[in-house]
Amino acid sequence: MLRRLLLALALLLLVGVVRLPFETALQAEQRAAGFHAARVGLDLRQRLGQTGFLAALSGCRAVVADLLCIEAYSAWERVEWGRLNWLFETASSLQPRALFIWEMASWHMGYNASRAAREDPRWKLEAQRRRAERQYLELSRGFLQRGIAALPNEPKLYELLGTLERDKFNDPLAASVAYGTGATLPGAKGYLRRFSAYCLAQVPGREVEAHARLRALYDLGPQEHLPTLLKEMRRLEEKLALPPEQRIYKDR
Amino acid sequence: MTPAISIRHLSKVFPVPFRRERVVAVEDLSLEVAPGQVYGLLGPNGSGKSTTMKMVLGLVPPTRGQVEVFGVDADRVESRVAVGFLPENPYFQKFLTGTETVAFFGRLAGVPKRDLRDRARELLRLVGLEEAADRRLSGYSKGMLQRIGLAQALVQEPRLLVLDEPTAGVDPAGSRDIKDLILKFKDRGITVLLCSHLLAQVQEICDRIGILHRGRLVCEGPLAELIEKRAQTELVLENAPAGLLAEIEAAVGRHEGARLLHRRHPQASLEEFFLTVTGDEKKP
Amino acid sequence: MSTAAPLPAHRLFSPARVGAIARNTLTELTRQKVFYLLLLFGLLLIGSSVLLVRFSFQDQFQMLKDISLGAMSIFGSLLAILATAAMLPRDIEERTLYTILAKPVPRVEYVLGKFLGIAGMLACALFLMGLLFLLILFVRERGVEAEMAASLSGDAAALAAQIETLRAQVFHPNLLAAGLTIFAKTCVLAALTLFVSTFATSQIFTVFIVTTAYFIGHFQATAREYWQAMGGAAWSKAFAGFVAILFPDLQIFNLVDEIAVGVAVPLALLGKTLVLGGFYVLIYLLAAQLVFAQKEL
Ligand SMILES: Nc1ncnc2c1ncn2[C@@H]1O[C@H](COP(=O)(O)OP(=O)(O)O)[C@@H](O)[C@H]1O
Ligand SMILES: [Mg+2]
Repeated sequence: MLRRLLLALALLLLVGVVRLPFETALQAEQRAAGFHAARVGLDLRQRLGQTGFLAALSGCRAVVADLLCIEAYSAWERVEWGRLNWLFETASSLQPRALFIWEMASWHMGYNASRAAREDPRWKLEAQRRRAERQYLELSRGFLQRGIAALPNEPKLYELLGTLERDKFNDPLAASVAYGTGATLPGAKGYLRRFSAYCLAQVPGREVEAHARLRALYDLGPQEHLPTLLKEMRRLEEKLALPPEQRIYKDR
Repeated sequence: MTPAISIRHLSKVFPVPFRRERVVAVEDLSLEVAPGQVYGLLGPNGSGKSTTMKMVLGLVPPTRGQVEVFGVDADRVESRVAVGFLPENPYFQKFLTGTETVAFFGRLAGVPKRDLRDRARELLRLVGLEEAADRRLSGYSKGMLQRIGLAQALVQEPRLLVLDEPTAGVDPAGSRDIKDLILKFKDRGITVLLCSHLLAQVQEICDRIGILHRGRLVCEGPLAELIEKRAQTELVLENAPAGLLAEIEAAVGRHEGARLLHRRHPQASLEEFFLTVTGDEKKP
Repeated sequence: MSTAAPLPAHRLFSPARVGAIARNTLTELTRQKVFYLLLLFGLLLIGSSVLLVRFSFQDQFQMLKDISLGAMSIFGSLLAILATAAMLPRDIEERTLYTILAKPVPRVEYVLGKFLGIAGMLACALFLMGLLFLLILFVRERGVEAEMAASLSGDAAALAAQIETLRAQVFHPNLLAAGLTIFAKTCVLAALTLFVSTFATSQIFTVFIVTTAYFIGHFQATAREYWQAMGGAAWSKAFAGFVAILFPDLQIFNLVDEIAVGVAVPLALLGKTLVLGGFYVLIYLLAAQLVFAQKEL
């Protein structure tokens, strides 16, 4: 029987040599299709500890990521912002294809942690507050940018990035670019294109382009004739002093 | 005619793991079992009876020598087509019912699917398990397991039955039933190889016996010849008056060399007595 | 019943016998207590859905999917390893193996039948777990629909559209692909366990070896990358290569993590992965038969 066992092991080794190239190719194909997305390096092991690392690698990566998110929720309740960031970093590197982790992470950093920093009584000076707030906003933007890198076809992330740039960084140009990129993706909400144009309208020096974009939207039909659109067009018509034939508000 | 079983110079040596010594279970065994014969393999525990049977069934490969069943080498699967086997202390999957067990083995033995249930019922009736047929084996007693083992051995109407201690652990009534069954198989022309250490029973049913001791066949031949005391004669008389007995004794005394060894009332065997008292006797 | 008659015909390989052994194995396994595992699975799902109520319903559905598929993968693997490891020792211990092989059953049919029985049990278990999971998902989803209807009363078209998207999100046909890859992985594990149990001296030993193989099988891709990144010494590369050749790469069957978050599996890719699984099974069964054919019982 020992002879047979050795024979069987020899068979396994032989077959292993044959299957290895095929497996490598298949794995590459799977990666290309978006699988095995996690970057599991040794640092992840240090982060997760032995058990978590084992669990994550043996078919429960998504579950471990979810548990980290659940823990992050508790960290939020205890207002531990540093830990919250750490947990989302780990969760998102485990499961970079999960949209909801990027969403959650950027929302907590960009809207909860930054607000808390702004109102943190430990900072005496306004400048200190601003700096702390800005740090969390950067973290939020970082999550969104990494999320976009992992899920380049997800309009939702561009939308969140645009909103963050517009409302928190007060950068209408960056916001317009983010909204605009999102608008070109399949499955994008119709308002992204509008938001992109609205934001562009706020950028000094880009009024002509902004007007052209608003006009293109206007020409799509009455369903696009929304109050904000009309207001912005009117403002730009005035500002650019357009001839009446290019105006939609010809009354003045 | 091809013998039912033919064993030639058969040896089996078991290696003991991680040790140098080896167990010689069977050594240079040769014997033949003719078709229709009931052959008893006797011997103390550990003498190699079960190992021999396993080699007959191809479950254990021989170290040396050869076994043929109906002329087919025992290591070939076809040699088992017409063989039924009852292992020592049979034990079946306890989650199955009696019928399911027999049907399962019937399927393995090639009984057509449509005949399975009828065959199972028939066999369970034959071994006296009719009323337990639809109960799970986990509730069966040792004797019942032995019977179900017999039923599954018979499932494809084999020509050869190999029975390893068929009556071990079975009560006297059950044991007698099994003995009667074996006699019935014999009448039907089925060859039986069995081993047992209940010598009284072996004596009642076997045509031929072989005695194994430490893996060697120390004695082999037709049962009647082996145990016959040719120099002695038994007379059993009924209602003989004292005078007649005295006359016989006197007559014995007149013959040179003849001698009366003892004079007694024959005793019932304890088995007969037990069966009479418990009144559990089944049909003749 | 004359002994002079030729022996009845015997088929060298009979699907009927393999089927009988497979069915018998399946019955044995289902009548045992393995299905308590399903109860545990159900409790886990219900427990975790309670834990998840704090999140938005989209996130809840997402996590419920992750947890269910992860649990199916883990429980399925456990079932495959533990149930298979116990099988051969039990058949030997209870001597049913003797009774089976004393019938005209070639050993290869026994190996095949046992494997098919286990594969059937795994399919049943995964199917039931999947059903339970879908049921919980369904109940939750209907709850959310009702909430939507309550809050969006009036605009029927908008409501219908929202419900449409919700359903499409929750009940994605990809879940079937996830189930299939999990099944493939558990079958590979069962075949490997069957092989190990043909030479292992005890059940514990089998479980130990296969568990080791399980972890190595999941980590070797990572380890390989790590070693490559280190530009490591020649011997460590050789060792990694040897490990990769000897042990199965189980990570290749782990597509559930991404399937759960909606990454689509191209049909061809799924097909190739399943074929690879079948190939592994075949090889391990062949190895098992090689050893088992000569095994002293
Ligand atoms: N699988 C085995 N491995 C090692 N030794 C064995 C094995 N089977 C039987 N033996 C040994 O072979 C001898 C004969 O056993 P066995 O044939 O079972 O005897 P019997 O049936 O006459 O009681 C015993 O000493 C037993 O210990
Ligand atoms: Mg014995």
